[in-house]
Amino acid sequence: MGDLGESLSFIEDSLRVGVVEYKSILGGRGRKAEEQTVQDLRIVELLADILGGEEDEFLKSLYLEQLDSEEVAVFRLSVFQDLLRDEVYGAVKDFVSKIRRCMKLIDLEKDVYEQHKIGFHLDATLIYVEALESFYNSLKALKVGSEGLTQLLNYLQDIVEGAYFRSMKEKAYEARKARDEIKVRVRIAGDEIRVWKYDGGENLSALIEEIFSIFKEGEEEEVRYIKTVEETSHVHAAILEGAFHVYRREYEILKKFMEDFPVIVDEGVASFVKEVGFYLTYIEYMRRIGKRGYPFSIPSFTKDGSMHVRGFYNLLLAKSGTVVPNDIDTDGVKRIFVITGMNGGGKTTFAVSLGQLVYLSKLGLPVPATEAKIPFFNSIMTLFPVGEDVWESMSRLEQDVVRALKILKQANSSSLVVANEPFSTTTSDEGFHLAKLFLEELHRKGSFCLLVTFIPRVASLDFVISLVAMPSLEDPGKPSYKILPGSPPSEYTAIRIAARYKLLYNDLRGVLG
Amino acid sequence: MIRFDLLKVGNPPRVTIAEDVRVDLELDKITSIASNGDKLIAETWLDVLLLQESSEDDIRYRQEAVKDALAHRDVVLKMYSIAREALERVRRETFIFRLDDPVIVVYEASKGVRIFVDALEKLLAILRSTPSFTSEAFNGLVSSLTTNIDERFISFTRRISEIFSFDEGVDFLVEVGDYNYLKNPVLLVPKKKESLLSKILAFEKGYRYKLDPRDEAGVQILYDIEKWALSQTATTLLKAHNKMKRFFEDLMRQLSFYVGAINMSDFFERLELPKAYPEFNHTTFSFKNLYCLSLAISKLGKPIPYTLDVKVDGAFAVLITGANKGGKTTFLKSVGQSLLLARAGLFVPAENFTIPSPGAVYTHFLRGEERVMSYGKFEEEVRRFRNIVNSVKKNDFILMDESFSSTNPVEASVVAENVVSALLDTGVNVFYVTFLQDLIYNLIKHYKEKIVLLVPERLEDGTRTFRLIRGTIQPGYAIDLWNRISKSLTPHPHSNTA
Repeated sequence: MGDLGESLSFIEDSLRVGVVEYKSILGGRGRKAEEQTVQDLRIVELLADILGGEEDEFLKSLYLEQLDSEEVAVFRLSVFQDLLRDEVYGAVKDFVSKIRRCMKLIDLEKDVYEQHKIGFHLDATLIYVEALESFYNSLKALKVGSEGLTQLLNYLQDIVEGAYFRSMKEKAYEARKARDEIKVRVRIAGDEIRVWKYDGGENLSALIEEIFSIFKEGEEEEVRYIKTVEETSHVHAAILEGAFHVYRREYEILKKFMEDFPVIVDEGVASFVKEVGFYLTYIEYMRRIGKRGYPFSIPSFTKDGSMHVRGFYNLLLAKSGTVVPNDIDTDGVKRIFVITGMNGGGKTTFAVSLGQLVYLSKLGLPVPATEAKIPFFNSIMTLFPVGEDVWESMSRLEQDVVRALKILKQANSSSLVVANEPFSTTTSDEGFHLAKLFLEELHRKGSFCLLVTFIPRVASLDFVISLVAMPSLEDPGKPSYKILPGSPPSEYTAIRIAARYKLLYNDLRGVLG
Repeated sequence: MIRFDLLKVGNPPRVTIAEDVRVDLELDKITSIASNGDKLIAETWLDVLLLQESSEDDIRYRQEAVKDALAHRDVVLKMYSIAREALERVRRETFIFRLDDPVIVVYEASKGVRIFVDALEKLLAILRSTPSFTSEAFNGLVSSLTTNIDERFISFTRRISEIFSFDEGVDFLVEVGDYNYLKNPVLLVPKKKESLLSKILAFEKGYRYKLDPRDEAGVQILYDIEKWALSQTATTLLKAHNKMKRFFEDLMRQLSFYVGAINMSDFFERLELPKAYPEFNHTTFSFKNLYCLSLAISKLGKPIPYTLDVKVDGAFAVLITGANKGGKTTFLKSVGQSLLLARAGLFVPAENFTIPSPGAVYTHFLRGEERVMSYGKFEEEVRRFRNIVNSVKKNDFILMDESFSSTNPVEASVVAENVVSALLDTGVNVFYVTFLQDLIYNLIKHYKEKIVLLVPERLEDGTRTFRLIRGTIQPGYAIDLWNRISKSLTPHPHSNTA
């Protein structure tokens, strides 16, 4: 097969005579994301949702590659802009599924008898021809705006207007017409098969149906034929051989078609089909989330360090429940956010959600928010607690510090640091001081940071934007999951709860008499 | 298309409380005589007896057919046995137990078709040699069969069973579809045996492939292709088979009603019970010497008959009261049974039987365990009655046996009076065995002639006759009685002078 493969590609090259080269729909590739970040921001879980159980290593690797180039991210986002139009999405999806079916047939072709091979080859071609033409035409009519799809359109035009494609199409139609002519009478008697040209014999079922029409109709059972053998068996091939024996001319046409057009799918088309999965998978994911009422938007990248995100939410929660969307804003002067407030109030979710949003933006993907204007960060780093082993609490603090310092070393003015309750395995006074040191350094470097902490004093640092997890208005004992700018609360939820149970001093006195 | 309808019952819903009626009126005893052990007859009889709807026209239609069947009993019995035997043979000799093997289905179904065709031929032979029926029902059957089933049908059907014995192999048309898969198989009538010349020609033109004797997989595949080629025809043939089967089932079921009538007629003759075909008269409910059929069946003799004549103007109520063991419940049963037989188009055990309308019959009988007073039981009774009320209509008959007696008579009377008045005013006829004196008194006072009171007959000397005769209420009777008895116990002033 190796020799044949080479000669095929030779024929392809000599016949396609294309001048346009295929350029990747992905716009470019990125660099593998930090392991720690992927873990802390729960990207693996997110990815499992996005891929929806599809085991595609190529796609998976794409989703784990963070782009360094803002240009590539913008390139992809503009492809998304096109694909978010239902008609464009529909056309691409349809095309991809047809080409995949075509390629599957070509793959299967290798394993079947000659009598079937010529049929597989013809149908693969027919599918390909139809797919390419209808996709090209609809894409042209849809007037796509992105660079990615525009260059694809040019590429496709080059193919469909090429001599190879046009003659392949013409010959495929002729071959199909020849095949449609074939009608044979087959007789199975014992272990013998006979095949003749069909001679106009009478349809037995129709005859029975007519003669028994004198009886009333009733509810009827269907006799089901359940196929238990492959339709490409040697016996099927033998019947086909019989059919070809009595339809010689038609057979020759089918056979010659395969010889004349050994290569069907263009390499660039194959690459496109593979790569565009990146977009299609994500759009399907967006639709699933969208069905639950949560929007996505195409992020725009700011140059001045300002950040305005409206109504962003947690994707992992949105897939199964209701989530409360939040906003985050800065003009770029203050870049350190400290999030305090009631327990279970959604502080960590807030930080992780924003981290995920930034992660997705660095893949050139639409993000879970109604509006997102953010810097194009060059790195996302995370400082999350490791393990919960009390006996190793000393080393846990050490680990926090080690990682914090590593982050400080790498951080610059376009880094985002997400820190979740760091330095919590010490006194709050010491914890405050560590946090202060950490944040002061990030501030000095101009880095962005979201830090979740239960030490309120951290929020009062003067270079910090303080955000607070708010209680529910109806029931102050319950969280609202809204995170709003403001000072840390003076009254604590835990104390309110205790009051409700008459456990505060005065009540207790009253009860105890 | 073959169409016939010996019963005119459609696809009948039984009355809503069919089970109660069946038990209360002892219908199983009646169907046991009609069926003589044949379950189908019993089932059909119950269907017809318990019909929710039955018009006068339908009843007359069946009455005529019953008379016809009795006059041509041999033909009816013969047709019934032909249908039964055909169905039994098919059940015994064909095995269509799975629908995923078209080859087997086709083979077995064609066997069944052959059996049915034989039976059809016998059926036609009998009908052609029969002196003509007089009823619309049986004439309809005969003409539908003789006009629809012709020689072409018989001979073609025989040819089909030949083809599907597979001695000649399976011929089918096939095309080449996508992927060069074979498609659109159409089973063909096999070519006639080839002549030597055409064999030679065919050899030149055709193609022949023989499986290698060791090719076991090939045999499997060939069988699979055969199944595939036959699958459409298998459905068609199975359908044909089922159509014939349904025809015989239909025929057998409809005939079974008349076979039951023949059996019942024989029973009447054995017991010398009178046989009356009911008549309709909007102003009369009357019968003469009506026997309780289930009781006759139990004792294999003639019980005491009842006679009644009610002038009907709207609805009426017959209240039956008086000492126990006076035959009150038996009276209810005999009326109920005969009403059902009348609606079915059958004869009733009476010298004559005239009813104002063919309304449906409902029963509300006291159940053994309900002879206890408790509000739980009462609620149960009320709920059961509520069920009846949901479907009862004008001109229907409700037979009540000591209804509402699971509470005290004062309360019960009020409830019963409410119920009965409502029924009467709606046009529903009531037969009510009751001891509720308030009820009887109030109903008679209010409805006058619409109420018939029946009491057990006692002769002057106090002997019971087990007949029911008309009674009257005697207002003040109890006071009178009191006074009378108290007086009788008070010594006469003049006799005290000893």
